[in-house]
Amino acid sequence: MEITDLISPAAVIPNLRATSKKQALQDLAKKAAEITGLHERAIFDVLLERERLGTTGVGNGIAIPHGKLPAMERLYGLFARLEKPIAFESIDEQPVDLIFLLLAPESAGADHLKALARVSRLLRDKGVCEKLRGTDNADALYALLTESPASRAA
Amino acid sequence: MIESMNTAILIVSGLVALSIFSSLLSFRIGAPLLLVFLCVGLVAGENGLGRIKFDNVHAAYMIGSVALAIILFDSGFHTSLKTFRAALWPATALATGGVVVTTAVVAVPVHFLLDFGWLESALMGAILSSTDAAAVFFLLRVGGIHVRDRVRATLEVESGSNDPMAIFLTLALVGLLVSKGPVSPVAIGMEFVTKFGIGAAAGMFGGGLIVLAVNKMGFERGLQPLAALSLAMALFAATEEMHGSGFLAVYVAGLVAGNARINAPETMRRFQDGLTWLAQIVMFLTLGLLATPAEFPAFAWQSLAVAAVLIFVARPLAAWICLLPYGFSRNETAFVAWVGLRGSVSVLLAILPMLVGLPQGRDYFIVAFLVVLVSLSLQGWTIGAVARFLGQIVPKRIGPVERLELEIPGARHELVSYRIVADSLVARGQRLPRWAEPSLVVRDRKSYSAHAAKGLKPGDTVFLFARPERVPHLDRLFASAAPAAEADSRFFGDFALEPGAHMKDLALLYGLPVEPADHEMTAADWLVRELGHDPGIGDRVPLGEVELIVRGLSWNDHISEIGLAVEPTRIDAPRLPVFQTGTELKAMLKRWMRKRA
Repeated sequence: MEITDLISPAAVIPNLRATSKKQALQDLAKKAAEITGLHERAIFDVLLERERLGTTGVGNGIAIPHGKLPAMERLYGLFARLEKPIAFESIDEQPVDLIFLLLAPESAGADHLKALARVSRLLRDKGVCEKLRGTDNADALYALLTESPASRAA
Repeated sequence: MIESMNTAILIVSGLVALSIFSSLLSFRIGAPLLLVFLCVGLVAGENGLGRIKFDNVHAAYMIGSVALAIILFDSGFHTSLKTFRAALWPATALATGGVVVTTAVVAVPVHFLLDFGWLESALMGAILSSTDAAAVFFLLRVGGIHVRDRVRATLEVESGSNDPMAIFLTLALVGLLVSKGPVSPVAIGMEFVTKFGIGAAAGMFGGGLIVLAVNKMGFERGLQPLAALSLAMALFAATEEMHGSGFLAVYVAGLVAGNARINAPETMRRFQDGLTWLAQIVMFLTLGLLATPAEFPAFAWQSLAVAAVLIFVARPLAAWICLLPYGFSRNETAFVAWVGLRGSVSVLLAILPMLVGLPQGRDYFIVAFLVVLVSLSLQGWTIGAVARFLGQIVPKRIGPVERLELEIPGARHELVSYRIVADSLVARGQRLPRWAEPSLVVRDRKSYSAHAAKGLKPGDTVFLFARPERVPHLDRLFASAAPAAEADSRFFGDFALEPGAHMKDLALLYGLPVEPADHEMTAADWLVRELGHDPGIGDRVPLGEVELIVRGLSWNDHISEIGLAVEPTRIDAPRLPVFQTGTELKAMLKRWMRKRA
């Protein structure tokens, strides 16, 4: 599982403006709806449902919201760099400014976990996060996500 | 007369001071502190630089016994009832059966290498059979590492409670060797029951008495800990007089007193700490002085071989057999096996054969001393590395905290003060829980009420009242942010789960193989059931491709935070090909049967 399998350059938002967790998730759902052709509302509901099980704010300013939808044919990733950090109920209570959204088909099983592990490993790399925070150019962000050594399969 | 008195004072205090100063060295180079104390004794002794001649075995035995009683009272005092309850059965198995297994296995190399008779070899085994409470406590607590709850509790309770068993076994064997007459196993069994029955009963009674005396008599504050201590020592002697185990009695009394609502627990604890240090130093110094290094070479290789058998065969075997019924994982058993440090108790018991005048009495002492030296250096030095290798260390999740605590006489709350650090959660606006209302805020040397302070700013010092058990929760809020290291974040998993999340939702979302019957269970309940023991931070259960991890416990020990690792962390993957668990053994047996069929 490679990051390039999950995300396209069009799915990178270099400067998302959001003031709350809810708004950020809404905006991301909207963008995801454009890319996947699914209902915005359905995506948003799935994400909210996941947050109810526990926050996807994994700490160090990063969130990886995710969920499963029946009508999808493959895994979709979406990356957003926030203009201003927002409260995300993260485990370390730090505000979040980097979000990687991952949507999977209902049937995804092991692939879903592999993709999550991949993204989680990538964003655990402090060097990568620092670089992601340092640029608001969509192409540069895409390159960072897909070309850093940590984004390749271990 | 006066002159010789001054010389004696100079020597004794000088040695104690030297030991204390050498503790700095120990922290610097990471050497086990107790080893350093022992070496100070050796260096000061007749073959060392000090040339002090000390060969009074009676005095040494008495000093050592008193010191041990103090140490055991203290280790009981510092063991929380929760730890004790969690570890009671596995630790009891180790402290009784484990001691017997160790004795039996160690007797073999002693018999063949040192030409001892079988009974004499068993005596040598019994002398070496107990782990050292002081060494284990010190390394687990002060060593700067946080070992996972289950093994830590087991090791602590074991090390405090196996000394009485080793002492009993040693005395019984010495008795056999001295009397030379036939002794029935029934008599020894009866002796065991009375010794430990009386010891435990006296301990509980005495512990209650100590609490009563400290709380009700209205002593001067400074006299309180002394009252407790003198009563404990009296209890020790009285129990021995009644043919009970005095060492067990003081340990139990310590346990009772330490867990009761005793007045001024901090004062008591501080006094105990200091006194226990002194007891350790005096004990190791005395034993070091008693040894004569010139005698060591004659027994060097034999002792090394005995130590090797003890460390690599006897202790692992004992740990494995005793822990088998309690479902310890391979890594847990391996760690318990490695933390079988021998210490002062073994050397102290090795004085007994000399004391009663057994032939070759001195040999026991020399061999025990050398084995303890090997164990303390080898195991003591490597304990941190081994714990890390076996995945038994809980990484730190919070940064440093500037906290002061002040106990309030007669109250269950204590006064806690924190300095607000700029990047802490409270400084960034996180609200305090309702039970932790700040009573006073000190800002620029001026005091404000919490209301007048209007929020907390970096540099402020807040004072608030809280129950001691809730202080760790406050620590998290006041700690400076310490971003988790990569390896550490893997330890706790990728995502957070609510303890109340239902298993069916997790099963659906992550494609996990959850039994339909468990669908309505919460993740926390499921974890507790799967673990089969009190949850400790860092405990984990694999489920399909993921792992559920206990991230945090609330102050009343319920799971408050769960981690989800979306790929196996391999923290609990067995690191050694030995110490199979009961289930693994059953599987192996089945495979073997199938092969034969």
